[in-house]
Amino acid sequence: MNQRAPQGHNVVTQSLAQIGGCGLFLLTLLAAIPRSLRYFRETLRQLWFVGAMSLTIIMVCGLFIGMVLMLQLYHVLSIFGGTSASGLVVALAVYRELGPVVTALLFAGRAGTSITAEIGLMRATDQIDAMEMMAVDPIAYVATPRFLAGLIAMPLLACVFCAMAIFGGHLVGVTWLGIDNGTFWSNMTAVVDVHTDIVNGVLLKSLAFGAVVTLIAVYQGFTTPPTSEGVAYATTRTVVASSIAILALDFVLTAFLM
Amino acid sequence: MSQPRSSYAIGTGLFIVLGFAALAYLATQTSSVANVHQGASYTIDTHFSNIGQLKERAPVKIAGVRVGQVRSITLEPGQEVADVKLAIDKSYDRIPLDSVAAIYTSGLLGDQYIGIQYGSSKKLVAPGGTLTLTKPAQQLEEMLGKFFGAGGVADNLGGTYVVTADFTNVGALTVGAPVKMAGVPIGTVQSVVADPVKLDAKVTMAIDKRYNQIPDDSAAAIFTSGLIGTQYVAIQPGGSPTALKNGDEMILTQSAMQLEDLIGKFLVNGSPGDKKDAGNGKPSAPPAGKQ
Repeated sequence: MNQRAPQGHNVVTQSLAQIGGCGLFLLTLLAAIPRSLRYFRETLRQLWFVGAMSLTIIMVCGLFIGMVLMLQLYHVLSIFGGTSASGLVVALAVYRELGPVVTALLFAGRAGTSITAEIGLMRATDQIDAMEMMAVDPIAYVATPRFLAGLIAMPLLACVFCAMAIFGGHLVGVTWLGIDNGTFWSNMTAVVDVHTDIVNGVLLKSLAFGAVVTLIAVYQGFTTPPTSEGVAYATTRTVVASSIAILALDFVLTAFLM
Repeated sequence: MSQPRSSYAIGTGLFIVLGFAALAYLATQTSSVANVHQGASYTIDTHFSNIGQLKERAPVKIAGVRVGQVRSITLEPGQEVADVKLAIDKSYDRIPLDSVAAIYTSGLLGDQYIGIQYGSSKKLVAPGGTLTLTKPAQQLEEMLGKFFGAGGVADNLGGTYVVTADFTNVGALTVGAPVKMAGVPIGTVQSVVADPVKLDAKVTMAIDKRYNQIPDDSAAAIFTSGLIGTQYVAIQPGGSPTALKNGDEMILTQSAMQLEDLIGKFLVNGSPGDKKDAGNGKPSAPPAGKQ
């Protein structure tokens, strides 16, 4: 700790520089969108990689989140004789918080790290410099397609996650614990609102999380020191920074949207 | 990423389709959209003496099946009657004229809804018509009151359209709590202070000017919304031809029921007779018991 203490001041300025650099990088990314349109195939390939390839983990995790939520809620609500409300509580908890947040955390671990590592290795092996030599804009060819793919993939993944969580809750609640099927659905449909819960809760939040996670991943990849150690640190930083950003942004978005 | 181009294109396409299918499923099957009836509806008028916690857009059910929703809830001017308009789906247009509209609660703590029980009349309710037979929401305090023979006690009201009332016990009544008549909020509690002379709780209520025809012998009672809800002041109109004016004092009040007192009475002798002392020497009214 003592050795790090003198750097404490530097850590603050470094963090500020990272945040500022990230913001400027976002502007560069957005400015490169028109130029990256001709690399549409690349965007599609990234969508396959970050979206379709993440489906398995998202679906399995969604299923288990729904199942464990239902088990816990059934246990607690049975004290008050309110087990019929457990389906509705599962739906609200998943739509408003757990769906977008857990999907984004998984997305940061599954897709964010691989984006950082891939771009970091491109940087370390001078591929990015080579692209510049060949007059291929690395921002438009490497960064923006990944950013757009993350932006498109996250809301879709969050929807799949939520649907699987509802399915898991239904499986445990109705099939195993014996909540009435009609009660399960009618309580849910009576309270869940399309605008508040699905558009604001699932779609808007996951869109914001997708933008933040891929921005951090691409930025860390581009700015990594071109060494194997640097790539390792950049990958770690992607997960840490994404997780903090997701949870902090979740609080802010909830406060604004509710 | 050595996959052939068509492979990931198809996979990505499947992923996008699956994502949108999940979104469509969430939006239509698990949300309130599933309850929206696109079909046209017609309106039926009902009048309730008390609507309890009924809210607009609450479901209207026949035999437990949702057939429509509550369109609006207003208080009939000058009467202690809540006018509730129901929007019923056009496909359920064969409701007998002598059907009964009743306010029920889903479970002990659930939301309230209107249930329609068919009568035997051959005549049907016309769109815009009125169901005259209604059953109001059950108030826990009134049920308890019937058990214990609870009567009205004394109250004061005063103000421009500020009225005061003295209660021997306000329970958990707080400033800002609603003042209701027939279950419809008509004002708020402005202050709750202890009277240093009479040793009562003096409650000041601000009542909406629109409701200026409340008889001056009306009773004010402190009720609780549901079993564990917040407390509010309920006004039960009397029969006097003169209306309450600003600064008036309501004579008849009924204090908050203390669960401990009720249980204590059960345990000691179960007699309702000793509750009269709740009036603290003020004129004690006969039981309000309007139902």
